[in-house]
Amino acid sequence: MKRFIVFAGKRLLFTVPQLLAVSVIVFFLIRLLPGDPTYMLAGPYATVERIGEVRTNLGLDQPILTQYADYLKRTLTGDFGVSWRTSQPVLLDIEQRLPATLELVVGAVLVSVLVGVPLGVAVATNRGGIADRLVFVYGMLAGSLPDFWIGLLLILVFFFALQWAPPPVGQLDFGVPAPDHITGAYIVDAALTGNWQVFWSAAGNIVLPLATLVIVYMPLVLKTARSSMEEMLDARFVLQAKASGLSRWMQLRYALRNALPPVVTVTGILFWFLLGGTVLVETIFAWGGLGQYAVESVINSDYAPIQAVVLVMAVFTTLVFLIVDIVYFLLDPRISV
Amino acid sequence: MIFGFVVIAINLVLALIGPLIAPFPTQAPAGASLIPPNATHWFGTDVSGMDIFSRVLAAPRVDLTIALVSTTVAFACGVALGVLSGFFAGSTAMARFFSGAIMRAADIFQALPLFVFALALVGFSGPSTRNVIMALAFLNIPFFLRLTRGAVLQVRSRTFVEAAICAGNSELRAAFVHVMPNSIVPALVHFSTTIGFSILLTAGLSFVGAGVPPPTPELGLMIKVGAQNMMTGQWWTALMPGLVLAVTVLAFSLFGDNLRIFLDPTGRR
Repeated sequence: MKRFIVFAGKRLLFTVPQLLAVSVIVFFLIRLLPGDPTYMLAGPYATVERIGEVRTNLGLDQPILTQYADYLKRTLTGDFGVSWRTSQPVLLDIEQRLPATLELVVGAVLVSVLVGVPLGVAVATNRGGIADRLVFVYGMLAGSLPDFWIGLLLILVFFFALQWAPPPVGQLDFGVPAPDHITGAYIVDAALTGNWQVFWSAAGNIVLPLATLVIVYMPLVLKTARSSMEEMLDARFVLQAKASGLSRWMQLRYALRNALPPVVTVTGILFWFLLGGTVLVETIFAWGGLGQYAVESVINSDYAPIQAVVLVMAVFTTLVFLIVDIVYFLLDPRISV
Repeated sequence: MIFGFVVIAINLVLALIGPLIAPFPTQAPAGASLIPPNATHWFGTDVSGMDIFSRVLAAPRVDLTIALVSTTVAFACGVALGVLSGFFAGSTAMARFFSGAIMRAADIFQALPLFVFALALVGFSGPSTRNVIMALAFLNIPFFLRLTRGAVLQVRSRTFVEAAICAGNSELRAAFVHVMPNSIVPALVHFSTTIGFSILLTAGLSFVGAGVPPPTPELGLMIKVGAQNMMTGQWWTALMPGLVLAVTVLAFSLFGDNLRIFLDPTGRR
């Protein structure tokens, strides 16, 4: 236990410089590229007074280090500036959209792990069958399917041809009100408040985007679980367990525990990739999450939100990698910081 | 292996002569709007009447060029930084500091959300082929860096490196002439996969409107144009370019897999 606290504490300390460095990158991103950041942040329709105001707010007449210190101070107090497109504070925009993206990403990661890991383990224990070959072929597709194209195909088949799925226009059916705000994720909120009409509407709308992400990204988890489990089943310690007369069940348990660390790593990577990678799927299904917000901001040259989205997503990524490292430690205590 | 090889060969040929052998103009209407696939228009026409088959033939010149150039730049920078960072990881305090700094920088860039960061880079600098190439190259450097550094760390302590330095080679020369050729295989294998991945990213960026400008014959743009028609049942508009995109990316990834198995026959699949 003491070792765990030391490990977790040290690892937590590491995230501080990491986050600082991320903020430095985001800060310089807009200053290193050509053009005056004032015009970028104020937007194309800004008045002369507004430009002057932004310039003073940014402190562009100050030395660069003072500017960075100001930026850091504003960021830490949650002031990301104002989006000229939605004319709302960026922080508010993000608060409204982040839960939708997290709902999709967490859902996709959960389903991928809950289906991919057992399937990979099952296939690894029964090698050579038809299922094994199918899984092998499916695993080869990892990373080569265009998610936005798969999403369109699903819409074509399940919405246009079969009419099973609702039209891809967002998180709820037309005319269904949003549930009371608790977490911001509609499915969770509707379930918590017992609002079943909204719950089924939200559940029906999330099926296709979720299926798109799972079809495209599960092979990564599946492939890793399968190869890692195969490697462990071939290892000497399982042979030893077998020779000692332990049941098949115990052998599998030993192998599985040792096969898990790579799976945990891949799950973390998947989460990192999906945070930025749902953008395309969100766009197709008009999901209204953070990814779609980033796209709309980029298209309309609305720079303050882009900076903020990159920063928020990087913070989440850092947290996810922190959790991955801690889980890794719990699974394999030989790891040190 | 054959599949990957053939698809890549076709892609390379099309990148060279694709626009020349296209039966219809690739950036202008060639018939009525939204004709289903038939003998004249093999893949049908899109909403503005452009022949989809001709545009698919012309697409590798755009997609493959972006992917090849950006991956080559990322490979060159990543391998060079990886060799420096790996070779000097156990050297003087000063060298160790820079070696560590390179790695930390790579860590931090990899914490940024890949696609959104690409979107931001292209968005800040304006959508154009050149900016897409630069953004992709930049994003892929850390992957090559990590792979090369790992290999260099293993090769560095071998006696032939020591021999090379004893024979009077400078450390830099030993790093790049003696160590690098022996530790380049992982990066080389990753090269093929990265090309496929870059094609996917390029198409994705164009799909949301932050890649190459329309009406360039580019797969992501074609899917974007077709997406609206897909909702109303004109399936050929997005299906065909998407299929070509998926097959191309798959080919590069399979080729990379096969290359890895070929170069390291003892490894597992």
